[in-house]
Amino acid sequence: MKKAKIIAILCAAIMILGLVAACGGSGSSGRVELVFALWGDPAELETTQEALDVFNDMQDRIRVTAIQIAQEEYSERLLTMAAGGNMPDCGMVDERTAIGWTREGLILPIDIYAGQPSKPKDGITFKDNGQTVAYSVASEVLGLWFNKDMFDAAGVPYPPATLETAWQWDEFIEVAKQLTFDANGNTPNDPDFDARNIVQYGAYVNCWAWQMEVWALSNGGRWYSQDGKSIVFDAAAIEGMQNVYDLYLVHNVAPFNAGQEDNGWWFSIGAGNVAMGTDGQWSTGFAGDSDIDYGVAVLPYMKQQANITAGGPVAVFADTDHPDEAAEFLRWYSDPENNWGPIEAGWWMPNMMNWFTDEALLKRWIDDTPNRARLPASSFRTAMADVALHPSTQPTGWYYTPNTDQVDRILIASLSEAANGSKTVAQVIEEVRPALEAALAG
Amino acid sequence: MSGITNQTDIKIKAPGFGGLQSKKRTKMIFDIVSFTCIVIISALVLLPIYWIFRSSLMGSLDIFLWPPSFLPMGTINPVEWQWENYIIRPTSYDFWRYLGNSLTISVPCVIFGTSTAISCGYAFARLQFRGKRFLFALCVGSMLMPAAVTLVPLYMAWTAIGVVDSYLPLILPFLCGGGAFNIFLLRQFIRTIPKELDEAAKIDGAGYFRTLVSIIVPSIKSAIIVVSLLIFITTWNDLLQQLIYIHSRENYTMVLGLTAFFGTFKADFAGMFAATMLTIIPCLTIYILGQRYFVEGIVMTGMKN
Amino acid sequence: MKKSDKPPKSNMVIKEQRAAYVFLIPAFLGLSLITYLPLLAALFVGFTDLTIGHMVRGEAPQFVGLKNFIDIFTNPSIDFFNSILVTVYFALFAVVSSVVYSMFIAILLNRRIPGRAFFRAVFYVPYILPAVATIISWSFLLRFEGGLINYFLVNMGFDRVHFLSSAETVVPSLVMIAVWACGNLIVIFLAGLQNVPRTYMEAAEVDGANFWQRFWKITIPCMTPIIFFNMLMSLVVNLQIVVPALAVTSGGPGKSTMFMTYLMYHYGPRSGQYATASAIAFLFFMIAAILAAVLFITSKNWIFYEGGDDK
Repeated sequence: MKKAKIIAILCAAIMILGLVAACGGSGSSGRVELVFALWGDPAELETTQEALDVFNDMQDRIRVTAIQIAQEEYSERLLTMAAGGNMPDCGMVDERTAIGWTREGLILPIDIYAGQPSKPKDGITFKDNGQTVAYSVASEVLGLWFNKDMFDAAGVPYPPATLETAWQWDEFIEVAKQLTFDANGNTPNDPDFDARNIVQYGAYVNCWAWQMEVWALSNGGRWYSQDGKSIVFDAAAIEGMQNVYDLYLVHNVAPFNAGQEDNGWWFSIGAGNVAMGTDGQWSTGFAGDSDIDYGVAVLPYMKQQANITAGGPVAVFADTDHPDEAAEFLRWYSDPENNWGPIEAGWWMPNMMNWFTDEALLKRWIDDTPNRARLPASSFRTAMADVALHPSTQPTGWYYTPNTDQVDRILIASLSEAANGSKTVAQVIEEVRPALEAALAG
Repeated sequence: MSGITNQTDIKIKAPGFGGLQSKKRTKMIFDIVSFTCIVIISALVLLPIYWIFRSSLMGSLDIFLWPPSFLPMGTINPVEWQWENYIIRPTSYDFWRYLGNSLTISVPCVIFGTSTAISCGYAFARLQFRGKRFLFALCVGSMLMPAAVTLVPLYMAWTAIGVVDSYLPLILPFLCGGGAFNIFLLRQFIRTIPKELDEAAKIDGAGYFRTLVSIIVPSIKSAIIVVSLLIFITTWNDLLQQLIYIHSRENYTMVLGLTAFFGTFKADFAGMFAATMLTIIPCLTIYILGQRYFVEGIVMTGMKN
Repeated sequence: MKKSDKPPKSNMVIKEQRAAYVFLIPAFLGLSLITYLPLLAALFVGFTDLTIGHMVRGEAPQFVGLKNFIDIFTNPSIDFFNSILVTVYFALFAVVSSVVYSMFIAILLNRRIPGRAFFRAVFYVPYILPAVATIISWSFLLRFEGGLINYFLVNMGFDRVHFLSSAETVVPSLVMIAVWACGNLIVIFLAGLQNVPRTYMEAAEVDGANFWQRFWKITIPCMTPIIFFNMLMSLVVNLQIVVPALAVTSGGPGKSTMFMTYLMYHYGPRSGQYATASAIAFLFFMIAAILAAVLFITSKNWIFYEGGDDK
């Protein structure tokens, strides 16, 4: 009896506290105060802060402050804030949750470029059933990075940097074999080759789940249907992915890579024991700090040329009282002119179409930025900028498919069994297909 | 592991000598075997910690070299120990701030948790009251309930109250008895103190609180140190809860800062290991300072039933 | 109102009761507010369709009956049944290995060996270190590419082992790490060993019992309550395993490390599907309770009680 009473009182106390907290008002200072959330490393916060200072100084209606969250915890942090009723006004969104969050009502489905003369590229526009919900601030594609010293030492010519001259998959494997050495200097072509004692690998393909989509496309397959409503993973997609794992399993030219983490560049070129590896455009950003002299080329292809676009989107969050001001700020923030730091360093490519077509602008962000110039700039133009515009380059699934975070979780866990050879990709997909379908349905 | 089973085999075979002389010899052989075992296993136990230290002094590229070098040296940056890995920019891993934040959580937790655990342990050990068995059963029962179960509801409650990005959800629970295990431990310990001491105090006119403070507490010092250290370790290392309740970087704790460092700079492996080393050093220091009381403390708790 | 169905109590007794209740206020608060009430809350939320969306939109969740509890088993993208299996497999494996290992080490440490205090301290160190830090170190030692352990294996002529990156070896590897970190059990065993009555040992020695006989006939029976206690504590800790999945394996390879806590974290704080997470949490509690109950019930048969000590 008494205990029940105590529990009842405590329940009531919790609720009252909650109400008091919910009613806490906020003061205003005449200017619209916006909070902008972003991920990334603290150095990025500094460059972002510089950009925000410019914005705050150039007008007196809106003031934006930034909060930064580590990338791995980004989504849960934002959800905690949302549950507590203090979500930021706007911010970056995990690509994989963008459409799901819009459906949950966490993101306002605002086209921040509605009625604007120029818009970001179509390939980096998030659409739910055709309706625009967000744009990526950067437009990234994948490339093949290579260690120039290792190619020189083996006397192998550098990989091709234009789509027209791109390697076919078999050529890629052949070159990789010439660049793979065991402790005795043998290559996989030698009979005495010791696969357990490899000191230099020829190739590394980033197996982090979402990047595997490119190999499905390259082999003429698909992950998702065009309308984003169903799971495809057809035979061609499965074969394409299997080809990637076979680099390690069959050809002994790649290190084992479970694909459970996104360390692409660092486990490939960055680790100093791989001659060439695939990863996103953002790897340009490492060039400044790296001791390794590396260049960039186009991806090899299987049945057809393929690449995928990516890039973190920005969105207006549901809690905000000032959606118009938030959209105005995001538009300003997404303009390459105003957010030059990440573009100059090499982490981002510009999002707007004209930066890929106007020669003066191209020169400004490619030839005149040191991290791209050292690749050199000419190869960057053909292997990255041209590829970004090419029709063979398609948006990744998350631009038009809901719940890709759940799909991704399942793929990351299950594909590692294909990576270590205990199952084939076909077996893995057969096993997880119901789970993928259920995850997509939500 | 094969080493261990071999040693056990020897043990099984060794006895069977007769006479006093050989008995002594058997004992000596046992001691030598035990000692060798302990030395080998403790070397294995320390290996992962050494590996953090070793990797923290190498160039990022050398960490992945094949064959791996046991000492912190590589081919790219041979021999030179890269102490500069420890010069981590405060914007990436703000050691002093994170240390301060971790202490801001752990110290109140230790103080509140230990004192409330003493009070509860005392009541359970010494006082007679209605519902004692039931309450004690509830208490011991909660020890068996994985804390993870209450994670989601508690998280929802705290966010509903609006206490987010604060240390309160991490500290306040320790005002509530400091964990059933600690209550249990202190109760066991208090039961080993002769009751006559309490009664003498009572005759002198001391109330229950006075008895607790002046008689019980001084006689359970080592148990108090044990409980304090246990609470310290639990709160210091509680990644899951900190991950959920702490948002802004300036509120990060040591383990959270480390996780964020992995998340953001997982590329910078040498820096990552240096940060790991920096994270475990405070733990190690506290433990080394207290370990003499600590191990003895539990050993003497008389963990009988 | 209190009914006095027992003989009238003296002032002293009432005073003692009152004092006891005051001393127990923290425990009352803790048990109700942060333990049992949230448990009921988990059960309650598990019957609704609460998601983050409701909280943001300010809508009341709907009552959906058993839907979530059925869903977590039938929806293949959740597959809670698999989580139960892998968690229980890991936990039982870890409990048995930890108890055997820590008993072995405790017996060695209980002998008169040089530097005993130092070694005791060493074995406790893994327990006090942050699990994130140690799992990272282990994951590098166990790496397939460039890991020290695989280097030793290759040098000894074996094939490399996938440890954390294959479904067959990942749980045994995590068990090894759990065993490595179980210094607390060693210390508690040490405490128990010191309480094994000297007189029994001496009597046995006089009777000519060898080490092995003494171990099985005296040490083990005297230690059974401690073994039971350690098994229980180890079970509760290991059922909650989550850090390796968070930091290294992401639930894989396959579904082999999709532990219950990780699944709960994934659906709760990570995706805001609170109803699903709460249903998982409540069933998690039931499973933990069942396992503990089984341990309690079977323990009656093997725990040796010296005297009639009250529990």
